[in-house]
Amino acid sequence: MKELSTERLDRLLDSVLKPSRYIGGEMNAVSKPFDQAELTFAFCFPDSYEVGMSHLGIKILYDIINKQPWALCERAFMPWPDMADGLRRENLPLFSLESRQPLSRFDIIGFTLQYEMCYTNILEMLDLADIPVYSADRKDGPIIMAGGPCAYNPEPLAPFIDVFQIGDGEDMMVEAISCVRDCKAAGKSRLETLRALAGIEGIYVPAFYEASYNEDGTLASFAPTDPCAPSVVRRCVVTDLDHASYPSAFIVPYTEAIHDRIVLEIMRGCTRGCRFCQAGMLYRPVRERSVETLLRQAEELENATGYEEISLSSLSSGDYTHLTELVTALIERYKDKKVSVSLPSMRLDSIVKQSLEETQKIRKSGLTLAPEAGTQRLRDVINKGVTEDDLIRAVKDAFETGWSTVKLYFMIGLPTETEEDLAGIGVLARDVINTYFSVPKSVRAKGLRVTCSASTFVPKAFTPFQWQGQDEYDTIIKKQKDLADILHQVKGVNFNWHEPELSMLEACFARGDRRMADVLYQAWKTGCRMDAWSEYLRFDLWLDAFKACGLDPAFYANRMRGEKELLPWDFIDAGVTKAYLWCEWQRALKGETTPDCRNGCQGCGMQRFEGVCSK
Amino acid sequence: MKMLVIFEKSKRIRHVGHLDLMRTMQRALRRSGLPVAFSNGFNPHMLLNFAAPLSVGTSGRREIMEVPLSKEISEADFKSALSAALPSDLPCIAVRAVDDKHPAPMSMLRAAAYSIEFYENARPLIDAIPRLLARDTIMVMRKTKSGEKLCDIRPMIYDLCAVDDTHISCTLSICESATCKPELLMDALYAEAGLAERSYCLYTRMQMYGENMVPLELL
Repeated sequence: MKELSTERLDRLLDSVLKPSRYIGGEMNAVSKPFDQAELTFAFCFPDSYEVGMSHLGIKILYDIINKQPWALCERAFMPWPDMADGLRRENLPLFSLESRQPLSRFDIIGFTLQYEMCYTNILEMLDLADIPVYSADRKDGPIIMAGGPCAYNPEPLAPFIDVFQIGDGEDMMVEAISCVRDCKAAGKSRLETLRALAGIEGIYVPAFYEASYNEDGTLASFAPTDPCAPSVVRRCVVTDLDHASYPSAFIVPYTEAIHDRIVLEIMRGCTRGCRFCQAGMLYRPVRERSVETLLRQAEELENATGYEEISLSSLSSGDYTHLTELVTALIERYKDKKVSVSLPSMRLDSIVKQSLEETQKIRKSGLTLAPEAGTQRLRDVINKGVTEDDLIRAVKDAFETGWSTVKLYFMIGLPTETEEDLAGIGVLARDVINTYFSVPKSVRAKGLRVTCSASTFVPKAFTPFQWQGQDEYDTIIKKQKDLADILHQVKGVNFNWHEPELSMLEACFARGDRRMADVLYQAWKTGCRMDAWSEYLRFDLWLDAFKACGLDPAFYANRMRGEKELLPWDFIDAGVTKAYLWCEWQRALKGETTPDCRNGCQGCGMQRFEGVCSK
Repeated sequence: MKMLVIFEKSKRIRHVGHLDLMRTMQRALRRSGLPVAFSNGFNPHMLLNFAAPLSVGTSGRREIMEVPLSKEISEADFKSALSAALPSDLPCIAVRAVDDKHPAPMSMLRAAAYSIEFYENARPLIDAIPRLLARDTIMVMRKTKSGEKLCDIRPMIYDLCAVDDTHISCTLSICESATCKPELLMDALYAEAGLAERSYCLYTRMQMYGENMVPLELL
């Protein structure tokens, strides 16, 4: 085992960019004696410290594990490439931030899967930790777990991860670590431990399943090979969010994280049913926290962190039942302490003018709206229940209350998209600008800034669009160019877009099968890592990797799938049924909308989960 | 009323940059609930004054920060509230109350003592110390905002000696017109010793001084 030499680590830290990413010891980080814990867990985030420390899930699970007196959870992040190379050069192992233990000394290493394009970083981190990347090559050492939204299609990572957690982690995590602790205490083998874990609801152990393929490359069968493994893995759901565990202290990073503030998770889930949105399908139903609970959490967190900003987090904060009451109370309580309250991911059809006025009392940030598509026809296809009138009313309210910066998010490549839909984006942008100038000079704020952002649509598992092929690379490039031309003619609009290369790879992994693991391994082996950072993305190496593995990216990204095709993630019961998703897909193609289920059950399948749906 | 806070920035915290340290102190003060004065204006913020920023990687044994207060408070109460709010690796060593007219520490700073520690024997380097000090001028290239500039650091070296085979100590001028960082002195010492290869060392600022070498924290 590689040892951690203080001198070599000191020297290395003095030579890398932003060494404060690797020092730990932040306010509210745990300090428990490593050797006294009955179970040790290294929570690994496969991206940089600044990205990882902005993530809410890590804060919740770190707190839950450390609340168990017998367990210890420490953190590790993907080292920036200079540090990764330095660790290799100095023969130092990847270590945890808190006690600087080599990761290979932990009982469990847990990765959170937030984004497909972090997958190479998982292999890189295991390798830096001196741990074989393939499960089959690991005879001892830590059990490698993974969870998070991307775990709903775990197959591209199947050969590398021992145990996947599917669903809400709060309860499942305690059950999983207790199981490992008991197996460890009883001296059980690695295989026996994995068998015990496979029996826990929400847990998927890929080694106990086998896939076979048809001649055309589609999946022929997928079934368990071990009696301990269920044929359907059912997602774990926290039913009572108001009483679910939430940290009373956040770690306060020394170096600035991307989101460096108090986050209140006001609710989980969204039932509006946007058909492209994976989170909207995976986190059903809507579960809210009470104002009382949130105010208590805000107070605890403010006292423990000293942060100067509170943000409300959910998939659709505007839909929170008591939004006005909560925002008013927060602003009232914290204005003297100079703490600002911000409302992100606001849906434009639910912005209350009153909330806007309340927010600006402290600090005015930009207004972000997501119409997603340029015409009403296409917005109906994707079931984004927002009209142009809603949008214009929202920006008019914002301009009248002193906002002057507006960001508009769109997607290109959505199913059934035509040139007219792209032209519609330009029309919307022009209308927003005209709305600004329709507000009297004495009322509106100076310096209008309108930004249009266009990302490329990526079909995701467990959405009604999971059968849709992504636009081919050349088509995306052409659409981006056309849209740039259209928006160029609208004076005063900034346009930016995402790299289509990245969206294509994302599409391959989002709906990939087990064979994508070969591509992932090959790409990493030839030098791919930090793919989500454009300066490190090596698209050429990825294409080479597909070729070397005899696989075609178009098979995964661009192919239309049929109703009868067995999909690699069909063995997971995510709550919404395949039948419901197919029905939604057909409605989409007909341009029919589906209302929010809070106004009447739409039969998505969540009712099958006991005590989950209130109606 | 203002409070002078003497704190240690060492071990892992030496890697924290100055802006990050300021933010860390502001958040610690917010957690402490102490009556810190805010600036007026659209974006009110704490007006913390540090005697001198440390380079990333350099430790500080007795660093000084000045905190303006909106209310009177005893030194003991201030110290215990702040200590409870600081991360354990960033301890508050002492505090001293001064009145609002007290000059900013930075304006009184004249010199600082440093300790330079090596992981291995630095004898060849140490042997060069008397030869270096015997020079009338010591010309080194220093990087400034406007490029590189040749300058004489001999008058800025107040003291330079070896404590043992792995440990050098020095006192250098640090003020607006004449600042010599210990790294610059080491450049000169390596050149004097004729050594091309650098040994890894850790820098620690031990103490800061005002006029007549009175410790800054007492002025």
